[in-house]
Amino acid sequence: MKGAFAEIVTTLSHLPGVVAAMIVGASDGLIVETSPMKGAASGGADSRKHTAALAAYLYSKVTRASDAARLGTPAFMRLEAERGQICVVGARDVVLVTIVTTDANLGRVRLDMMKAARDKP
Amino acid sequence: MTHPTVAEPWVAGPLRRLMDDARLISGVLLYPTGKAVGQFGFSSAADVMSVCALTSAINASARELGRQLDGKPFLEMHHAGVDRQVFMARCAAGPHELLFVGVFDRESSFGVVEIYFEEFQKAIEKLSPATEVRGKGPSGDFEGELNRSLDALFGPLGK
Repeated sequence: MKGAFAEIVTTLSHLPGVVAAMIVGASDGLIVETSPMKGAASGGADSRKHTAALAAYLYSKVTRASDAARLGTPAFMRLEAERGQICVVGARDVVLVTIVTTDANLGRVRLDMMKAARDKP
Repeated sequence: MTHPTVAEPWVAGPLRRLMDDARLISGVLLYPTGKAVGQFGFSSAADVMSVCALTSAINASARELGRQLDGKPFLEMHHAGVDRQVFMARCAAGPHELLFVGVFDRESSFGVVEIYFEEFQKAIEKLSPATEVRGKGPSGDFEGELNRSLDALFGPLGK
């Protein structure tokens, strides 16, 4: 299982524009598997733990909003910020989270994240 | 959601932020001796007294267990119940060690509580405990210290 998760984050992190890819516990927000953060200064503050916890939390709230609107389970969540984006896809007990640059190929990121979520062991 | 009540005013701000940001249902900040410094979510002094006594005992046991298993005390503890979860961890204000125990449900998550507790730890460290912490070292009077801190939080019993 751990090997399969490592493969997923490695594949996602190699996509153009992906700064980091993570698999995060859906209920606890803890990182299960993560890629290194591209461009992060050695010894600098690592924001992955914060991003993972808050992205999983946000996704759980989005799921509730989607349920309330009778839209079913959200397929893909994208948060667009000034200097990049956060993409989240639910995969049962975990969520896949990627941090991507503004110029990333979002279509490819979305497709590969959804494929990874579908094929997740 | 209730506001924190504090025996030592310098913790009010950070405790309030922790409660709001981490979406905690209840929590108690205390000295390892069991003396309560601040609390939220409890309406009864007896409940806080129980939490303080249990947290103090759990901390002592977990610390010793950590030493025996890992050569150093455990830093934090998390218990996930069916509906509610308990988070317990240490922080420091200058030379003074403090314990925090908080309860949360599905409105929050362990990851979220952890990251906001880290911010709380930094906020507490930044305060000037040398002048602001009125706590004295352990006097050995566990019950007396506990009762005095509960009086400060809930008012003297029977008055």
